Amino acid sequence: MLRYCLHRLLVGLAMLLALTVLIFTLLQLTPGDPIDAYIDPNVAMTKEAMDALRARLGLDQPLPVQYLAWLSQAAQGNLGHSLQRFNETVSGLILSRIGPTLLLMGAGLSIAIVIGIASGILSAVRRNTVPDYSLSVLALLGISSPAFLTALLGLYVFSVRLKWTPSGGMLTPATDFSVGDLLHHLILPATVLSIGHAALIMRYMRASMLEVLNQDYVRTARAKGVKEFWVVTKHALRNALLPVVTLIGSTIGLAVGGAIFVESVFNWPGMGLLLISAVETRDYPVIMGATLVIGACVIVVNILTDLAYAVIDPRIKVA
Amino acid sequence: MNLKTTFSALALSAALLGALPLASGNGNALAQGGTISGGFDVGPGGFQGNFNPLAATSGFTWLVTYFEPLVIYDDKLAKIVGALADTYEVSADQKTYTFKLAETKWHDGQPFTAKDVRFTLELARNEKAGSVFAARLGVVQSVEAPDDRTVVITLSAPSPSMLDTLTKVMMLPEHALAAIPAEQIAKHAWWSSSPIGTGPFKFTKYVADQYVELAANPDYRGGKPAADKLINRYFADPAAAIAALRSGEIQFTYVDSNDVSTFSSDSNFKVIEGDSYVVNYVGFNQEVPLWQDLRIRQAFMYAINRDAIIQSLYGGAAKPANCVYVADQLVPQGIESYGYDPEKAKQLLAEAGWNKINGDKPITILTYYTSPLATNVLAAMQAMLAQVGINIVPRAVDTPTYNSIVYQQSGNAGDYPLIYAGLQNGPDASNINIGLNEKQIPPAGANILRIRMAAVTDALDAALAETDAARSDARYQDVCKATNAELPWATMWVANRYGVASAKLKDFVWTPAPAGGPYQAHVEKWSIAE
Repeated sequence: MLRYCLHRLLVGLAMLLALTVLIFTLLQLTPGDPIDAYIDPNVAMTKEAMDALRARLGLDQPLPVQYLAWLSQAAQGNLGHSLQRFNETVSGLILSRIGPTLLLMGAGLSIAIVIGIASGILSAVRRNTVPDYSLSVLALLGISSPAFLTALLGLYVFSVRLKWTPSGGMLTPATDFSVGDLLHHLILPATVLSIGHAALIMRYMRASMLEVLNQDYVRTARAKGVKEFWVVTKHALRNALLPVVTLIGSTIGLAVGGAIFVESVFNWPGMGLLLISAVETRDYPVIMGATLVIGACVIVVNILTDLAYAVIDPRIKVA
Repeated sequence: MNLKTTFSALALSAALLGALPLASGNGNALAQGGTISGGFDVGPGGFQGNFNPLAATSGFTWLVTYFEPLVIYDDKLAKIVGALADTYEVSADQKTYTFKLAETKWHDGQPFTAKDVRFTLELARNEKAGSVFAARLGVVQSVEAPDDRTVVITLSAPSPSMLDTLTKVMMLPEHALAAIPAEQIAKHAWWSSSPIGTGPFKFTKYVADQYVELAANPDYRGGKPAADKLINRYFADPAAAIAALRSGEIQFTYVDSNDVSTFSSDSNFKVIEGDSYVVNYVGFNQEVPLWQDLRIRQAFMYAINRDAIIQSLYGGAAKPANCVYVADQLVPQGIESYGYDPEKAKQLLAEAGWNKINGDKPITILTYYTSPLATNVLAAMQAMLAQVGINIVPRAVDTPTYNSIVYQQSGNAGDYPLIYAGLQNGPDASNINIGLNEKQIPPAGANILRIRMAAVTDALDAALAETDAARSDARYQDVCKATNAELPWATMWVANRYGVASAKLKDFVWTPAPAGGPYQAHVEKWSIAE
């Protein structure tokens, strides 16, 4: 088992290194650099002046030198300074953004899990009735609506028209911090983020529940006179949940992608917004650092999933 | 599922959708007393995330709420008036500028003196400080401070754009910045944590990527500001800024012209319209062999129905440009007006032998304009040019990509045989020089199309050398005449730009100045009705 763990860790590290090389290379292939991003073409600037700015940022060094310099610093935990922001370290930027992203993803997934599981059970128990059809229509809508569309639609309906929620940001400017204010800002982006996941979980839950409800032991329970409520919640639910839990684990990666869209529409100050603004301004150290951290998280989650499988299911070969 | 069940299901779905956000509570506490919020860095004149005025290529609308320059444009962008300089004089030979400074204090209570001006100008001329003004101030020979209230700037040669440049150089406090080495100043934490200026508002805090907050400066020499706080909200997406304006969270933002119609009939909002001072053009890369013949360039002018595009896509809010200028005093009588005439375009192309030069092979037109409006404009041009036998293919890229392509030294002309772009043509008419003068071919300048047209260069040189302000307009009329005849660009139009302000704002001044100005906005008078 220890050998298996070590092996997985080494593979993970190699993948991370390969990821940094890939991102660095892709960044060099991306046209434009931080200085190009700086200049408004309508208010032109001389190339000489641009080159002077470029030299100040060390962008005139050869590429392998730039990469190795970055890697040796990164290995020591120093991800460098942002090229576009004011004296901010990349690690500081990332640390300040991980919290809001986790909050948004956590809230979104929680809403998705609660709504998805509850509606999945309801659909299965009330199979082929109006509630089942309604929920299925909604689930179909949810799965087929891209996040940027639901985000803009949500913004229009709930912020612009109904004025129930703020249109963006995490806290109201120029006011003291309050949990209520934070939740008020959180509810709409988290709900938007949850829609696709809730729909997916609902479909899985419904299918899994229907299968379990037809099992012999459920019929036995009913034959013994157990009330339907207890049949569903005590006997069927636990077994039906197993495949859904696996699904939830694997959608965490998807949630990262969704969060990037939602963060940019709602100006939520998380990793997604950081990454998007870094790409727009060609802020290389921030792009590298943020990708490294996101990549590391995904790899660690994958390793943990693999290890958990190995523990739960002995049929998976540990070698 | 029968029909009744289907209807019931749909109705229930709709009810569930509507019920979801009820949990979010009531959000009526969004309005704030005495606080004005806006998307002051949204749109082409804005520069979100920049706090260093020495690095500002735009974003001046916001910077002048807490910093101030020596001189500034008036709110019509018609003339340059004193700001931190009470008065100024320019010597007859246009080489000596004398400024008499206003009596005022920095936000930390220290007096503002001529030494601060000298310090700022030295820093702004220093390339090591990452100043974008270093090249423009290269003509400055010396800056002297004979006493606390007087500054004398001596130039090595007359420079007609010196005052325009000085409107953009914000004065900085020597006592706060002198200890920071020039190489470290560009991205120093001071700018976004504790900057001090002399303006009507004081910097209080920046919440990264969310907003900047300022508080009223009660000691401002123009009087205590009417509002208590001023907030500049950041938006990753202009649509989000419009949503925030509609929901009442902010009271002002820039809006694209195709969004204006949704506000113009709403009494809760006031639409502010102004000249963009950016002339849009189709540029011909002179390093590809397609555009040598003037008749081909003329064919572009005749083939594109500019009036139709202005009416149907800009809603009439643009002026057709027959040369690089549209301002009345800069456009002489009798220049060619290039009315829409596709038959003439075809004839000119036939005479020039277009079929042999290129025929209907596709030609990429590169642009950094990615708005829906620009996409529609290019589609219209594509269709109009196709009718006369020119096959253009639009390629829209982001700004860094665009700059990296067009500023390359040479050898990649084929990547951008045509561009659809814009360049600032006012309020200082000399701004156009950098894109058209032969002496401005990169690396020296931004003549990215490598235009070498003697008539245009000579006209620009003569205008720049004119020291008599009274004759200046006539010189720029010559530039107009030369660009109208030679067509280094197929000039299209100068469009209007828009801001939308809440009707609750009083004495609010904004105009869509290129790079955000700066201009006299009298921020201290802005107020908001409860």
